[in-house]
Amino acid sequence: MRYVDEFRDAGLGRVLAGEIAAAVEPGRRLKLMEICGGHTHSIYKYSLDDLLPDNVELVHGPGCPVCVIPMGRVDDGIALAHTEGLIFTCFGDMLRVPGSEQTLLDAKAEGADVRIVYSPLDALRIARENPGHEVLFFAIGFETTAPSTALTLRRAKAEGMTNFTCMCNHVTIVPPLRALLSSPDLRLDGFVGPGHVATVVGTRCFEFIPAEYGRPIVVSGFEPLDILQSILMLCRQLHEGRCEVENQYTRVVSADGNPLALAAMAEVFELRPHFEWRGLGTIAHSALGLCDAYREFDAERRFEVPGVSIADPRACQCGEVLKGVIKPWECRVFGTACTPEHAIGTCMVSPEGACAAYYNYGRIRRPKEAV
Amino acid sequence: MSEDASPAECARDDQHCITCGDGASVMRVLELDRDTALCADLDDVVQPVAIDLVGEVAVGDELLVHAGVAIRGLGAPA
Repeated sequence: MRYVDEFRDAGLGRVLAGEIAAAVEPGRRLKLMEICGGHTHSIYKYSLDDLLPDNVELVHGPGCPVCVIPMGRVDDGIALAHTEGLIFTCFGDMLRVPGSEQTLLDAKAEGADVRIVYSPLDALRIARENPGHEVLFFAIGFETTAPSTALTLRRAKAEGMTNFTCMCNHVTIVPPLRALLSSPDLRLDGFVGPGHVATVVGTRCFEFIPAEYGRPIVVSGFEPLDILQSILMLCRQLHEGRCEVENQYTRVVSADGNPLALAAMAEVFELRPHFEWRGLGTIAHSALGLCDAYREFDAERRFEVPGVSIADPRACQCGEVLKGVIKPWECRVFGTACTPEHAIGTCMVSPEGACAAYYNYGRIRRPKEAV
Repeated sequence: MSEDASPAECARDDQHCITCGDGASVMRVLELDRDTALCADLDDVVQPVAIDLVGEVAVGDELLVHAGVAIRGLGAPA
């Protein structure tokens, strides 16, 4: 099984689209949020929204880690990247994320030693190979990525590394979902849940959504048929008056997640009291920092970090896009002042960002009906 | 991995950034060396993968891999 061809069958996709249309009560409009940026990307790439009936609308959620990082943290990272003799490592998407004055790519052009890594373990290898330099890994991501950072720090500690640090920007999925669900300007009927976050945390941690907020959620895989089947499962729940956590991605996700990954995270991280999210404001206990046992690897303790909070550019409406209040093309700078080449907002930087995904795959078409 | 991964390496799946997003790839185990498995992806690109977080792994098994770390063992392919 290649997990690809079997889940991209166009004929089966049309069958599922027909079943979705049949599962929605006539006259009822459904607004469903896909939480994860990976789903947003697939939805635009495969034009899945075009297959859906007019009365099923997809809203794009805050699950792209690049899109939710606030400008102040980007500036902090850039300030550290300019440290003499320091090798700054990060994932590729971070390079073009705008800070208040420049991007990491600009810093690199000015001489900062900024390197893209595919894995935090690559950053650790660079530290081993460059014992005369400080090597910093700028960590971002939800619970899918946090275990890889935890594992890397565990290995760094076991090896007694003294020139490796991490600036930790890992965030957790539940607090922003609570913030969204508590927002008065949001009307959502259900959620397509993040399949790979759930691989780590399990489906059980989403039970508060039906229990406390009365909304169904279906944890979904990332192939086109996965997403269509998840939408169908949500529509059926709503049609039948059910409200549950369901697991479409059973080939990967379990109720309890990955206990070894959770244990590694618990050993290395602790919850920050609060963390700023782009567009969502400051949310309590929504991000991870290094715990005391790993303090020697904490870049924020080893280096002077400005720690300035900076408001998002006034023209940018990423916050409203992230909350699903407006669609990407309704932002006043979408596709004009803000493009993937010259991004103003983070949603236009990452391929998982709703604006970049829409710009790259769907900007020629407009929705059947505005929000 | 190269010393300085190219953006293409971060976005193997057709511009979809598998590390920055919630992406993960299914890879097949070719060789085992303690806490690391040499794995091939669907396009037969080979890379080392940390297997500390997935328990027992055998050659031929498939793994769900994110940022160079296996986050779920999928067992032998059907």
